[in-house]
Amino acid sequence: MSLLIAAFGFGLVSMSVIALAAVGFTMQFGITNMINLAYGEVMITSAFVAYYLNQARVSVWIAMLGGAAFGAVFSFLINRFVYTPFQRKGTALLGMVIVSLAVSLMIANGLLPIVGYFSVSYRERFSHLLRFGDIALTVNQIVIIVLAVAVMLAVHALLRYTRLGKAMRATAANPMLARNCGIATNRVIDAVWLITGSLCGLAGVVAALDSDSFTIASGAGFLITALAAAVLGGAGQPYGAMIGAVVIGLVTELSAAVWSPDYKQVVAFVILVLVMVLRPQGLLAKRGALAAAG
Amino acid sequence: MLSARDIHRHFEGMHAVDGVSIEVMPGRITGLIGPNGAGKSTFMAVLAGTLPASSGSIVFQGEDITRLPAYQRARRGLVRTFQLPSEFGQLTVLENLLVAAPDNRGESLLGALLGKRYWMPDETRLVAQARGLLKRFGLLPKESDYAGMLSGGQKRLVEIMRALMLRPRLLLLDEPMSGVHPSIVNEIAGYLEQLRDDGLTILMVEHELHIVDRLCDPVIVMAQGKVIGQGSMAALRRQPEVVDAYLVG
Amino acid sequence: MNTYYAANLLIFAGVDIIACLALNLQFGVSGVVNFSFIVFQAAGAYAAAVLSMPPDTAPDYSFQIYVGGYQLPFPLPWIGGAVVGALLALPIGLVVLRRLRADYQAIALLVTSIIANTVINNARPLLNGAAGLALVPQPLDGVVNTSTNSYQYLYIGLTAICVAIVWFIAARIVNSPYGRTLRAMRENEVAASALGKNPTALKMTIFVVGGAIAGLSGAILVGFLQVWAPSTWLYPETIILFAAVIVGGRGNNVGAILGALLVPVGFEEVTRLLGRMNIGPPNLIPALEWVCIGLLILGFLWFRPKGVVPEQRRVFPGAPAVEEETRWVVGKGAR
Repeated sequence: MSLLIAAFGFGLVSMSVIALAAVGFTMQFGITNMINLAYGEVMITSAFVAYYLNQARVSVWIAMLGGAAFGAVFSFLINRFVYTPFQRKGTALLGMVIVSLAVSLMIANGLLPIVGYFSVSYRERFSHLLRFGDIALTVNQIVIIVLAVAVMLAVHALLRYTRLGKAMRATAANPMLARNCGIATNRVIDAVWLITGSLCGLAGVVAALDSDSFTIASGAGFLITALAAAVLGGAGQPYGAMIGAVVIGLVTELSAAVWSPDYKQVVAFVILVLVMVLRPQGLLAKRGALAAAG
Repeated sequence: MLSARDIHRHFEGMHAVDGVSIEVMPGRITGLIGPNGAGKSTFMAVLAGTLPASSGSIVFQGEDITRLPAYQRARRGLVRTFQLPSEFGQLTVLENLLVAAPDNRGESLLGALLGKRYWMPDETRLVAQARGLLKRFGLLPKESDYAGMLSGGQKRLVEIMRALMLRPRLLLLDEPMSGVHPSIVNEIAGYLEQLRDDGLTILMVEHELHIVDRLCDPVIVMAQGKVIGQGSMAALRRQPEVVDAYLVG
Repeated sequence: MNTYYAANLLIFAGVDIIACLALNLQFGVSGVVNFSFIVFQAAGAYAAAVLSMPPDTAPDYSFQIYVGGYQLPFPLPWIGGAVVGALLALPIGLVVLRRLRADYQAIALLVTSIIANTVINNARPLLNGAAGLALVPQPLDGVVNTSTNSYQYLYIGLTAICVAIVWFIAARIVNSPYGRTLRAMRENEVAASALGKNPTALKMTIFVVGGAIAGLSGAILVGFLQVWAPSTWLYPETIILFAAVIVGGRGNNVGAILGALLVPVGFEEVTRLLGRMNIGPPNLIPALEWVCIGLLILGFLWFRPKGVVPEQRRVFPGAPAVEEETRWVVGKGAR
């Protein structure tokens, strides 16, 4: 039993890490209809940017901001120079999947010669272990949880109370209508990529901090876990992504405790495939929203 | 020929089709009209099997087809066309028609593996048949053009011919005149009259009232997911609810 | 020229051609974006291996743990590889090829590929985990001397026969009314079902056929390499094949073959050449190759989506006697 409670504690950390990634990912999908398979690679690239800052004696908590900024700019550029041109050309959704897959491969492999194959970690990797009954968490992990909650609240505030947030929601619901109502959808989309890009970068640094060590190859795992949470919650729904993150975070940690830690990621992947097949619209979306055309 | 009873179709809490019952009589062109958002296209999709009905039943030629998927309804003679152009763009016009033909031995995996000698006779026969149709509808010179390259009106004709290759009993036309140049509209209307005179039954959703006037009898009017009137155009014009909902003078 | 080098080149070319022909049937002709393709090749390889290897209790083999070990003679392991590829396509296809939006289907298949690799990698008792299988017997091991040059030629010949068989099947499929129906489904699935075609059945069939051919390609490869591990079949391997089909030309067999020669084979050779020249750190060249593959995909999708050899327009000969009487258009009587 205490094992389960400890796993629950890890679940809290996991869900925080996943939520940071999933919310950005799902917003990219919801507002620009783009399943950005390069998301994981942008995460890991940002993590490495923070790593280099970290090596230059910058605290990882500050380097995190550098990672977020990098993620914002990088994502924005990818959208501006690759995704948007292909979309304007009329490329079908399936074609865009292939495009983003190609981009992800290019980023990962372009990074390899620069960064190398070895796994690295941040200097602040180890921190004090605190105990709350059966739950044992390090200081780092607690800060991550608090950070995630703060970011989720900020996203909520953005969407609910700001003009930009309302414009984003309108564009997500019906881009043509939004444009007709005078919303500069192009600028909204630019803003979306900058904001979600910064979430992506931040999530990358956090995920890397939470792992024992990370390499370029970690990017694929980040992507699929974020994808799983996003799809589970209902693709395009930020609150759905948060719920999805909670579920996946808990389920994967419990499975690791009860079954085997080797398969933690596989559990998330299997959840993704099951959701896609059984209930593609996810938990929050209404039935039929994402079924095949016709 | 076809009777639909109490068809409902919900989608995300909205009742696109809210208890519609109609009868389609053989040998006539039945019109289905109504303002935007009345649920006409959704209803057509439910009849064709593209969308499942949330409740209700559809009986076609004495058989309950409510649970059948679209492709099985097509095989039984209930064929639809689409409002948006749905030609097979990267196939030639002739190939578009040939695809539709249901009795080609070469259409199964086994048939394909057995090679040309096995399915060539069927293919030759169907090519002749398709060419006959193309000639009748005036598109024979375009037979080797990619279907995606045709004009809106020509694409619509290809779709109709394609449907005809299936020897349908009931043809569901979803706004056949939409996206068609006005000069071609009369041509298509003429073809539809010919088909009706040949004995084809048609159910047609249409906005252009003068076409409906010319071709359709009877006409069914839908608004907000329900049927609000049935009968000839003249009779409908006298019904105040119909006039209010839809016909402007 | 070194015989082994020639054999290596030709056999890899043959395997890649077979794989591209299969992927072309699934993706180029039928529009099924099978991002899990490499899993089927891997399944065929593993199947051929465990069918031809002695059981893991045998001396020399006891450092590995794996299922099977039936020591079957050639050509049974190769046939087994194809069969396993086909069988694997059934559950995967039934689960994923439903009425799911196309990009979700593609992603589900991609993730399936990653799941399969991770599971096999970790589940040691199944197929020897990360280490993979080694000492896989070569075909006709007991019958001829496999260390001679003539065996290399024999292997090349066997591969060539398989290429011919697969080419025959692919050609018959593509140039038939069946192929036409598949292409129609690719163009507009909803319209195709409105014309009486069953899209699920069509997709499942081509998924199974493609799976069988992919399995065969794996069997051929493992018989030559004599080793097979999860690192051989990571998900990006599927992307190389996709690049090949996109570059060579979708929907037609000549394009698929050309793509196979240009992309996987071409890159293999370039790696070999550049590797000998010792440019930069050891892993620079493969990494840059992947960047090039990405650029190729993007470049072709942008400038020439139809590929180097586009799908041919099919023209029907002559004008046979045209039927004047078309009053048959209306269906009459029972069907």
